[in-house]
Amino acid sequence: MKEESVKKLLTTLTAVFMIGFAMTPFLYMLFTSVNAKPDFLEAGWLFTLSHYRDVLGADSLHFLDYLKNSILVSAAASLVTVFIASISAFAITRLEMKGKLFVLFFVLAVSMFPQVSMIGYLFKIMTALGLINTYPALIMPYIAWILPLSLWILVSYFSQIPKELDKAAIIDGCNEWQVLFKVLFPVALPGIFSTLLLSFIFAFNEFIFALILTTDFNARTIPVGIALFEGLHGQIPWGQIMAASVVTVFPIMIMTLVFQRHIIGGLTKGAVKG
Amino acid sequence: MSVLSKKEYRPYYFIAPLLVFICLFILLPIVGTLFTSLMRDVTFLPQKFIFLGNYSDLLRDEGFWRSMRFTLFFIAVAVPLEMLLGTAFAALLDMELPMRGFLRACVLIPWAIPSAISAKIWQLIYNYSYGLANFLITHLGLSQGPVNWLGSEGGAFAAIVIADVWKTAPFVTLLVLAGLQAVPHDLRLQAKIDRANFAQIFFRVTLPLIKPVLLVALLFRTIDSLRIFDVIYVLTNGGPGGSTASASLYAYKYFLGGDFGYGSAVSVLLFAVAFGMSCLYVKVSKFESEI
Repeated sequence: MKEESVKKLLTTLTAVFMIGFAMTPFLYMLFTSVNAKPDFLEAGWLFTLSHYRDVLGADSLHFLDYLKNSILVSAAASLVTVFIASISAFAITRLEMKGKLFVLFFVLAVSMFPQVSMIGYLFKIMTALGLINTYPALIMPYIAWILPLSLWILVSYFSQIPKELDKAAIIDGCNEWQVLFKVLFPVALPGIFSTLLLSFIFAFNEFIFALILTTDFNARTIPVGIALFEGLHGQIPWGQIMAASVVTVFPIMIMTLVFQRHIIGGLTKGAVKG
Repeated sequence: MSVLSKKEYRPYYFIAPLLVFICLFILLPIVGTLFTSLMRDVTFLPQKFIFLGNYSDLLRDEGFWRSMRFTLFFIAVAVPLEMLLGTAFAALLDMELPMRGFLRACVLIPWAIPSAISAKIWQLIYNYSYGLANFLITHLGLSQGPVNWLGSEGGAFAAIVIADVWKTAPFVTLLVLAGLQAVPHDLRLQAKIDRANFAQIFFRVTLPLIKPVLLVALLFRTIDSLRIFDVIYVLTNGGPGGSTASASLYAYKYFLGGDFGYGSAVSVLLFAVAFGMSCLYVKVSKFESEI
């Protein structure tokens, strides 16, 4: 059938374009990181691993410090966020309470605010508290910033769990904390895992708070570190920047490939309803 | 009736931590910014209440209006592209394909990477003398000579749009894909039996059914583009000649320069626009049914 073959061709072309569009920058990043000079497209290949040696070995570049800061800050922020969001989602889906819709809409509106309208005053608060360039200066705003998304995803997961389940638990004499941790948590575990993953990605990718609230490698996160990366010798050290990017990006890529179902499930639950 | 009765438990305890964090680290900074915008608040100068002084300066500030125009123009170009490309990818992923899961994950990856890092990769791609972009267009014969991507106004604008579409189209894809998969299969089957062709099915049957999802994606992308910062900060830092400074970047530069009063006034105006749009977003996406 003619229409079928046209369709097949179109599908293949779109698929090829899609993969090329999504992946080319990463291939280019990878190739630049293993070439002595960034002009290898014209000048030819000159394979080297020296950029990786610099990035992983030279303490003065502080790459590993940035990475460590990012991982610790994102882990702390996402764990606290998911805990707070779970107990809130529990209350909103399970307890009798006035204003739960207001809370949900309020939180949704908050997540749309431009970050730039907070950074000036946040900087002043953190300066007054003496927290500039420390982990708490990042972790606390991150928690507030990721909470709306986490809450929405978890409310969506929790509301799919049949209420008969906690009714039974109550009859068996559980209090509300036990209902939450012994009944809901185990059932909602995949949802909680998705939320944790997404919260971590959001915290890990955050840029503007980290840019303004940190000053050096003691707290600076990897996105800011790479954006402000300066070489030891003036010229933009593309090889080192790309090596650093590869080391940062590959774990995320693998995580995305392995957990794509969780990520997509959580993301669509957080954004599309009904 | 809810399972747990009101008298026994105090449900507000459960949402208190949520509200405390949001009030302390989002609402308080915003209210603080609002107050600061009414002050002369410059490093090394004594603070002084000047009421709307910063705002009246803003009205006459060509740089501010330029950043607002840039932001709106950027939204007008980038968001439709994201929607188109995102929807096309979603339509593709909705079909029966080999390795569909892998394809889906590939599309997702640009979204999952910190935008500051991907912008750095794009900065190298746009490099005038040895970047991939100029290598491709000159070797494919698309252009006579290399394009000055980041050094010319038009080039910088296009560069930012492409990098941003690359990063955000996956998000649209995921939303639309979720919408597509909720469309009953029978409907499309019925259309096929009625001898509708592929295009007819998509435009007459599927598209109207996923309109709510498209609207949510459109609004979300618009609000998110309104605050664009990371990509521009890394790619052009507002250059050349301030032509690509978004409203967020413009405000940031005043904070950086120590003029908190004026930077706050810029932020407040941006916030007002974003707030109006997020109210619209909340209204459009009807969520109540779920809870």
